Amino acid sequence: MSNAVIRKTLISLAVAGAATLAQADVVIGVAGPHTGAYAAFGEQLWKGAEKAAMDINAAGGINGEMIKLVKADDACEPKQAVSVANRLVDSDEALAVVGHFCSSSSIPASRIYEEAGVLMVTPASTAPLLTDQGFPNVFRVCGRDDQQGDVAASYIVDVLKAKRVAIIHDKDTYGKGLADAMKSTLNAYGEKEVMYEGLTRGEKDFNALITKIRSVDADVVYFGGLHSEAGPLVRQLREQGSKAIFMSGDGIVSDEFVSVAGSPTYVEGVLNTFGADPTSYPAGKKVVGEFRASGYEPEGYTLYSYTAMQVAAAALANNDLDPIKGAEWLKNNATDTVMGKKQFDDKGDLVVSDYVMYEWQNGKSIQLN
Amino acid sequence: MSQAVGINFKKSSVDAFIAGLMALVLFGPIVGVVLDGYGFNAEFGRVAWIVAVVAVGRFVMSSFLQTEKGIALAFRYANSDDGVTVLPPGHKSKMIWIIPLVIAVGLLIPFIASKYVLTVIILGLIYVLLGLGLNIVVGLAGLLDLGFVGFYAIGAYGLALGYENLGLGFWSMLPIAAILAAFAGAILGFPVLRMHGDYLAIVTLGFGEIIRLILTNWASFTHGPNGVSAPLPTFFGLEFKRRSRDGETFHEFFNIPYDSAYKYMFIYIVLFAVVWAVLFIKHRLVKMPIGRAWEALREDEIACRSLGLNHVLVKLSAFMIGASTGGLAGVFFATYQGFVNPSSFTFFESALILAIVVLGGMGSTLGVVIAAFCLTVLPEMLREFAEYRVLMFGILMVVMMIWKPRGIVRVTRTGFSPKKGVVK
Amino acid sequence: MDIVLQQLVNGLTLGSVYGLIAIGYTMVYGIIGMINFAHGDVYMVSAYITAIAIAILTFFGIESFPIIIVGTLFLTVAVTGAYGWVIERIAYRPLRSSSRLAVLISAIGMSLILQNYVQLSQGANQQGVPTLLTGAIRFSVGDGFVQITYMKLFILFVSLLGMGVLTYVIQKTKLGRMCRATQQDRKMASILGIDTDKVISTVFVIGAVMAALAGVLVTLDYGAFDFYVGFIIGIKAFTAAVLGGIGSLPGAMLGGLILGLSEALFAGLISSDYKDVFSFSLLVLILIIRPSGLLGKPEVEKV
Repeated sequence: MSNAVIRKTLISLAVAGAATLAQADVVIGVAGPHTGAYAAFGEQLWKGAEKAAMDINAAGGINGEMIKLVKADDACEPKQAVSVANRLVDSDEALAVVGHFCSSSSIPASRIYEEAGVLMVTPASTAPLLTDQGFPNVFRVCGRDDQQGDVAASYIVDVLKAKRVAIIHDKDTYGKGLADAMKSTLNAYGEKEVMYEGLTRGEKDFNALITKIRSVDADVVYFGGLHSEAGPLVRQLREQGSKAIFMSGDGIVSDEFVSVAGSPTYVEGVLNTFGADPTSYPAGKKVVGEFRASGYEPEGYTLYSYTAMQVAAAALANNDLDPIKGAEWLKNNATDTVMGKKQFDDKGDLVVSDYVMYEWQNGKSIQLN
Repeated sequence: MSQAVGINFKKSSVDAFIAGLMALVLFGPIVGVVLDGYGFNAEFGRVAWIVAVVAVGRFVMSSFLQTEKGIALAFRYANSDDGVTVLPPGHKSKMIWIIPLVIAVGLLIPFIASKYVLTVIILGLIYVLLGLGLNIVVGLAGLLDLGFVGFYAIGAYGLALGYENLGLGFWSMLPIAAILAAFAGAILGFPVLRMHGDYLAIVTLGFGEIIRLILTNWASFTHGPNGVSAPLPTFFGLEFKRRSRDGETFHEFFNIPYDSAYKYMFIYIVLFAVVWAVLFIKHRLVKMPIGRAWEALREDEIACRSLGLNHVLVKLSAFMIGASTGGLAGVFFATYQGFVNPSSFTFFESALILAIVVLGGMGSTLGVVIAAFCLTVLPEMLREFAEYRVLMFGILMVVMMIWKPRGIVRVTRTGFSPKKGVVK
Repeated sequence: MDIVLQQLVNGLTLGSVYGLIAIGYTMVYGIIGMINFAHGDVYMVSAYITAIAIAILTFFGIESFPIIIVGTLFLTVAVTGAYGWVIERIAYRPLRSSSRLAVLISAIGMSLILQNYVQLSQGANQQGVPTLLTGAIRFSVGDGFVQITYMKLFILFVSLLGMGVLTYVIQKTKLGRMCRATQQDRKMASILGIDTDKVISTVFVIGAVMAALAGVLVTLDYGAFDFYVGFIIGIKAFTAAVLGGIGSLPGAMLGGLILGLSEALFAGLISSDYKDVFSFSLLVLILIIRPSGLLGKPEVEKV
């Protein structure tokens, strides 16, 4: 057994032990794909939330009550999301939930949290439908797919001045959401995409699709999806000699994108939208430093998860641990987080979306000005 | 086994050494060298642990199998496999007492169980339905179906899309979905009839995948991966919502405080009734000529055909009845989850349903019920193991099959005895 | 025109990989009549071992492509072969006398075990290997071009070589005769003094070795994999095996090629959204016309 596993077991034992001693803890669920194909993202969620809870507890907890985290695994399956949400609400008596990760899990789970009056703050689900359902208790500290598509489309039209855009997506809620947003914004600008097609998640051979991209002579390839498919896609695109600009959303932002693509040369010049670098906020300097000191790079959604935990804690702390009042309060008050001040609108979306363009240079995603 | 059995420790040591060496080859690279970008981190400590555990385990096992008890165990294991148990004629099943008891307990559950437990039980019952449906196809008719999830999807999407496009609610979709699924079963059934065994398996697998791919890709109708929301059942027109757009809600009508558990209670009670109805119908079908024909066809198709059995109709009926049960389960699944999207209908789900049928004991109704609960409740119970959950699940599946290859419950039959004095 | 030719090239390389994996399904099916659902995951394990071997070799300062590829092939084939043997020994042999469905469920369980064991020990993240061989041959066709990378040529060469060697082993050697005898009639073969358990083990090892070959080639070419990668390619290869007639060795190769070509042509010329629908429909269609696959022996019905 690795040290990490032993350590985790000890922590969970300690947490469980503490729970039986002090019943008055504030239980917060961390729901996400802790197993399955998306487990890497689940780990980012857990790391961020765990650190945030430890920091809040070290600073005296929520109104003196310690936060107790419950790891809730949905494996990004809606079925498991429903049952794990019921479990959080019912057996664990969670007051708030940080999660879920996949939009397809967050949407069915949000209904259960709404019925139970539990506060839900998702660090990563960007599907517009989630907050468009009109539940009062659902918040997200990330942007929406349509905002992301807007930023990318205007960049294509205004900066790149590209005319031939091929749109590819991975047929998943997130990826297709991005691609649809890109398509509708492009069309609103009066441009027509030259190609709009889906690929199958989990496959690695996209040569047939790329030959087709070659045949329509695209200037820009916009991909809605995650790095697991984006890596092979951009590699095979370059191998087939296409010089088209490759552009994608926040789903490809991971160091793994480079190793999956086979070499930093393949990802050179790839563009993507992402929230303004989460590690760049002055408020988060200390936390990022501590993460790095512990040998963990807070990439992807780690800091979003930290932020989500802070938002949930603030809402509970200022409203005597009442999640429904807390949800009301969040809509009227800005919260200080490691990613700056966060203000929510009536739907639970961020008032200010902070999507900007990034470019990959020497194997790193660098924010463009 | 009268001779004194001494333990040959030399043999055990050799066995242990070979097992340890094998473990080193297998686990050395994967466990010991953890990839990190293009480099790696060495974790030889944990390889040493695994190898030691395997070697010691093998040593203990090898020694034990040389003792008298061990030999007896191995002997019993090797000879444990025989067919159907035939009960003596006139055997009175204890089920007459058990069934009312189970019904009584089942009806009590929603009032005592917590909401979480209730939802897990609902999921268990949905899988009971699925298992019963597939049991007709695989267990009784012997047609290996790896795409059963397709019918499940038809039922679930039937409810969601029927509500969205035609405004049909839970109660009208329940029978319609069953008919739709049966119809799909008939369409699939026709080409299937020419094929045997595993060709059938892959065609049905393909069918399940085609349904899922269409649900994913035909975005203008099914909303693709985004999924569709599904309606809740109504209680004589009363909705189980906190507040209703039109008309009264359940808790307002009865003047009780709102509780989201009511809807699960209601789904549970309806589902419970449907499961019993299906159980009853299936129980009767098996004893009817059609049920006998399914089993006869499974055992020997050629003999059946030469006896004049219409194998096309018999197979088709098994497919359609099985499929309609799957469709029913889909409707309950959609209303329970309130939302359906294609990721709930992957091949893994088909495999899980098949596992229920096989683990339960092919053709055995009781076995299916037990296995369905095991396979749905088990992963929930294993949640304590967090990331080891699915690994444990896989190990249990293999161990269960090795331990009881014929499933938990054997099929039993009551024998016939010729009646005296009646000669015809 | 160039596009169609390019799609043919794409389909051919993809199909040869399907063919290699399909061999594992078809041989195991031929000999004990089971669908080895864990086979795709054996392929996945081999992808990990490939990356590990490359990482270790480069760690020791070896840079030249031929040495790395030979070393990787050797290591991967050896370890994956061991996996094939152990899986058969643990999960399938105890079920030799049980119904085929019991073995099927055991295989599904094994597939879950392999996926989660690799995920737990290697982490769930996406893995990649560095690009070792770059460059391509280009032919100009009309005003466009058709290209095939050196890596793709290498894939074609190695997979054809692998299939050739295997065909020779099965057709001409004593081991091959033993395999064929066991396939035809296990009981009779064992009466004639063939250790059928050993033959079955060997078949599992051969299947794993072929999957390992595919694992090395695909991993080197596409560079990306994770612990879930065996599932889709496993289903595709299984489809290929059935398409060609399950149990038939040339059928597996032919089925692989047909599937690869049909996917590439459909995705490239019509729609990549529905390419899998097309593949499965093609399969159903072929099975309706020829119920035991393209090269499969028609099932003889006897009383």
